[in-house]
Formats: sequence, C-alpha cells, structure tokens
Amino acid sequence: VTGPLFLGLDVGSLSCDAVLVDRNGRSVAWTVLPTGARVLDTVDRTRREVLELAGVGPAAVAATVATGYGRERVEGRIAAVTEITCHARGITALLPGTDVLVDIGGQDSKAVRLDHSGRVVDFAMNDKCAAGTGRFLEAMARALEVDVPDLGDLDAEARTGLTLSSMCTVFAESEVVSLVASGADVAEIVAGLHRAIAARTQGLVRRVAPQFDGLEVAMSGGVARNRGVVRALAAALGRPVTVPDEPDTVGALGAALIARDRALAADPAP
Amino acid sequence: VIRDHFAELVTGLEARLADAGPGEPVARKTFALEAAQLGLRLFSGEAPVAWCGVLAPFDLLHAVGFEPCFVEFVGATLAGNGAAPPLLQLAEAEGADPTSCSFHRTALGAVASGLIPTPEVVIATSAPCTGGLAVVEELARRLRRPLFVLNVPHSRHQAAVEYLAEQLHDLVGFLAEVTGRSLHPGRLREVVELTNRARHAMVEIDRLTRHVPSPARPRDLVNFALVVSLLLGREAGVRVTGAYRDELERRARDRSPGLQGERLRVLWLQNRIQFRSPVEPLLEELGVAVAVDELNPVTWPPIDPEDPFPGFARRMLSTPLVGGLAHRLDHVVRLARGYRVDGAVNPCHWGCRQGSGARGLVDRALREAGFPVLNLEVDCVDQRTFAEGQVRTRIEAFVEMLAERRPARELEA
Repeated sequence: VTGPLFLGLDVGSLSCDAVLVDRNGRSVAWTVLPTGARVLDTVDRTRREVLELAGVGPAAVAATVATGYGRERVEGRIAAVTEITCHARGITALLPGTDVLVDIGGQDSKAVRLDHSGRVVDFAMNDKCAAGTGRFLEAMARALEVDVPDLGDLDAEARTGLTLSSMCTVFAESEVVSLVASGADVAEIVAGLHRAIAARTQGLVRRVAPQFDGLEVAMSGGVARNRGVVRALAAALGRPVTVPDEPDTVGALGAALIARDRALAADPAP
Repeated sequence: VIRDHFAELVTGLEARLADAGPGEPVARKTFALEAAQLGLRLFSGEAPVAWCGVLAPFDLLHAVGFEPCFVEFVGATLAGNGAAPPLLQLAEAEGADPTSCSFHRTALGAVASGLIPTPEVVIATSAPCTGGLAVVEELARRLRRPLFVLNVPHSRHQAAVEYLAEQLHDLVGFLAEVTGRSLHPGRLREVVELTNRARHAMVEIDRLTRHVPSPARPRDLVNFALVVSLLLGREAGVRVTGAYRDELERRARDRSPGLQGERLRVLWLQNRIQFRSPVEPLLEELGVAVAVDELNPVTWPPIDPEDPFPGFARRMLSTPLVGGLAHRLDHVVRLARGYRVDGAVNPCHWGCRQGSGARGLVDRALREAGFPVLNLEVDCVDQRTFAEGQVRTRIEAFVEMLAERRPARELEA
C-alpha cells in the first residue's frame, strides 16, 4: 500500500471497528474487535491491528475520524462525527441510491433518510431503551443457550412464530426462558423475536419515510448479520432490504471517507 | 429551605449587579434577581399568596393585592437546583402517576412535604392543560383553601373573549368575598399601564432578536416570557423588559453577536430543560443559537386601561398552547420563517399530553415549511431519566444534518 491512508474508527458499545481507505476512497483494510470494558485499550488494539493488516505504520495515516458512542475518546482524530452521518456516508459509498438506511448496533437502532446525493435529510433513533438491538439479541441468545451468530438461521423452519408479550430485554429474557421450559419450539421463539424487532424497526422507518413504497432500503450495523432479522424487516416493510458484505464496518468506512474528504479538501496533496 | 435559597440568591445577584462594570450584560441578572425576589416573597410567609394556573392574569391579581404565581414555577425552580428528584419520588409514593407531567408532580411532592406556603386563595385555569388544572385543584383541596376555576374556551372569537372577561369580573367578586381584598379602578389602571409598558419592551425584544446573528446570548431568554408574566403590572416587569431591550439594542447596534461564531439557528418548541443538562452548552459549542423560544414572542395586543378585562381575556386566549392546534402550527411556522432558523428542537417533555399529542402535527407542519425538527424525548424536570449519550448523539447528528443543508438553502435563497 502506498500513499496516504485515512482511518475511520467506530467505537461502539459492543464492537470497535476500524477501516483504512486510500486517497481514492478504496478500502485497504478493516477489522472488528469486541469493545469490552477498557475502551481506550481496545481503540489502540483496533488501530494497531488494522495498520498491521494493511502492512503500514502509524505514519501512513494522514487523518483519522472517530464515530460511535466512544468517538470523543479517540486521540489523534481530526474530528468526531456521529454514527448517523458516518453510516450514511458509508452506505452511499457501498450502495449508491439507498433511500433509507436502518442501522442496528449494540445499543442503538436508527433509521436514516437519505436524499439522492446521500445526504442525511432526516433520522430517528430508538427511545431510551435498547430493546431490539444487539444487546437484546445477546440476552435472548443467552436465554436460548445458543450462539448469537446462529440466531439468524434458527427461524428458517418456523411456521408462524410466537408472539412475545414484552420487548423489554429483562422481561423478554425471562419470557423466553419460560417458553423454553414449557417446551416451545426454539425456531418459533426466534421467529417471534425477529418479528418483534422488525415491527419496532418498521416504526422507526415510518418516522423518516411515512411512505416507503419504491424506496431502496439498506441495513448496516452488527445486527444486519442476522439474516432472520433482515428477512423479518423486509417482510414488515414489504421491500427488499439490502445488506452490504461487511455491515458492521459501514460506520467506520463512512468515518474513513469523511477523514479522506476533509483532509483532501484542506490539502489536496497530503 | 426554599426561602433561604431565594434569600441567598437575592444577596448574590444584588452583589453581582452592583459589581457589574459599564457595558457588562446585566439584563439576565436583573431578570434572575426579580425572579428570586418573587420567590422570596412567595416563600416568606408574609405576602398574601395566590397559587394559580399558568394562564391566570397575574397583573389583575397584583392590582387586587396578591402575590400570585403558577405552580409550574415551583417545579422549574426545584429542578434548576437539582432538588426535584426526592419530591418526584414522594409524589409518586403518594399515588401520582409517574407518567404524568413532572412540573406538576414536583409541585405535588412539594405540597406533600410541606414546602409550599399556604395561599389565601387558589385560582385554576382549564388551559393550557387539564393536568395543570387537576394539580391546582388538588393543591386547593390539600391546603383547604378556596378555589376559583377559570374556564378558558378553546376559541378566539369575540364571544369567547366576552365569556372569559365575564369570568374575570366574577373572579374579582370572588376574591373580595372570600379574602376581603377588593379592586380599586385607579390601581387597576396603573397596573395595566405598567403591563403595556413591559409589553412594548417585549415587542422590541422580539424585533431585536430577529437579527442574524442574534444579539441575545445563549441563555438570555430561557424561560423569559413565562416568568415575566409574573412580573406584569409591576415596576419589576418594566425594569426587566427594559433592561433586555436596551442591552439587545446596544448589541445589535454594535453588531455584537450573542453567540460568537453563530453558524446555525434553531427554534425551541414549548419549554426548556429546567435542570442543569449538557444540552445548552453543547448547542453553544456547536455554534447553534436558539434564535427564538416558541413561548417568548408577544401574541397579545395592548390592553385598554379603561376597559382591561377583554384585554386580559384576549391575552389568555392568544397563547399558542390554547385552543385548536391550527393556531399553534401557524405560530411556530411564522416564527421559524421570521427568525430565519435552520430547524427546530422539540424537547417532547415526557408526561405533557398536549406536547406529545401535538408532536406529530407540529413536526409535519414545520417539515412541510422546510424546517427539520429534532425530537429529543426528554423530561424537562426529572433529571433521573436523562440519557446524556443518546441526547448528545441526536443533537450532534441534527447539527451535522443542518450544516449539510445550509449551503443548499443559501443557494436556493
């Protein structure tokens, strides 16, 4: 890799993601590490790891932009930009023409409305509760005694799906435990969970796009790796939901591209 | 406890005003001093207090000889000092619905803990919200004081003005009957003239704050019109509004912006957050000026000193939160255009049925007029529910979005 590189760091509640792009905006390397309790240590490790993957040293990075809930804690950044703007920038680079982006991360879910040039024109976030986010799915996987990555396909054989009475993480976890204890089919429980998340997310989408007929919908964030949630959301919206190859790095990619845009605007030949 | 707090506040503010150098901004300190003195009078146990609904005609009550105040003032003051949470808990323990308005729940907690001075009389208003009406009624019941309810119609027609003016006459009769305090026409004329002088200065303040960049400093006009309504009909009201007018005039003339580096302007809907939160510092840091608060601009015509009752009634009915929502929607869109804002912030105060009910329509009206809206979903009094990270992300993302739009809007212009 030659020439200056631009680093995007997305410090989320569950994962810390890094993407390096070159001056043409092409992704050179990326990595995702669990955030854990020591955020600053994780940021350092993520930064080191992505540089190693690219085979360059820290001096190759011309500019860094941080995003995610820990964005203000990243040292050496030229800016801290919110996840909303970064995910919008990232998805526009990966899937141009996206009208609505759904980003479900560790503890936030967001719907973002984009205009034809990829600018954010409206957004809505989940209220003060993490129902339907990555944390919620982690708790449900624990209650079902399955691994989180396996949740996405567990509902493939479900017929109708069960209806959960609460989306509160605590109440839903105990309800799932009771359902398992009473012999309910795990596939039906998982289908019910995915449908509940989709219904909640559909509400967020409606807030930014009351009519979503004909709109291009994409999904980013770690939860987009769960195929069951994506399928349920597409069914709830009545629209296909497109997921890029590495959905959890879309925010970091957007941050890297913003770092590139700003650095090149300030000095076209860094 | 509250009396001592206000006494301390008065002493501190008097000292700071005395030390203020030439050209130093004093309007906000003058306003804070008058509000603290009002608090001191209310809690001194000496003044004849009237606890009221927020729309009560406070100048008329001054003319009769009362020290009137709306109950939400208690909630806001206690929240400002960080003292609301235990009172909210107390009110909830006594049965207040935790999803109800926390301005009112705090007032109920204050009554339950004996912090509210017993009034001579209680005057409720059926608008702007039935929650407020219920709390004022409850206060009268608990403190065993006579209650008068002003039924505020949801119309602005002449018949509604006459209906409300008639009730205000009845109120004066009621006050004379139950407290022995009567209204002297000469005193009423004096009071109305003071109200009109303050109103005139407020109209000037509205005009001056339309300047871009705004000459008002970020926190200058927080809670302004609501608290000034308690000073109408008094020299204090003339003093405070005059201080603001003069200071804003000077700053506008000197092209001295209230917020250095103002790059975006917003309309703030309904109430401000009353406890210390990072919201206003963050807006300042991001170069966002709150150009206008929905409830600050003057919406009522001058009051005729010879026949003031219809004027008091018109003022009550002109409030944006009274009546059908069409009036409020027109008001907020007019403000957004007149103050040339980039967008609007709606705190969506939890528990405010009226605010929550109107939220979608206010949102749509402003968006259709080209003004994006940020719905914060906070409780303006109960700091226990404040989610700083979420609020910060919403504000920063909203500002990033507005900043992206700005060049496009400037090109369109």
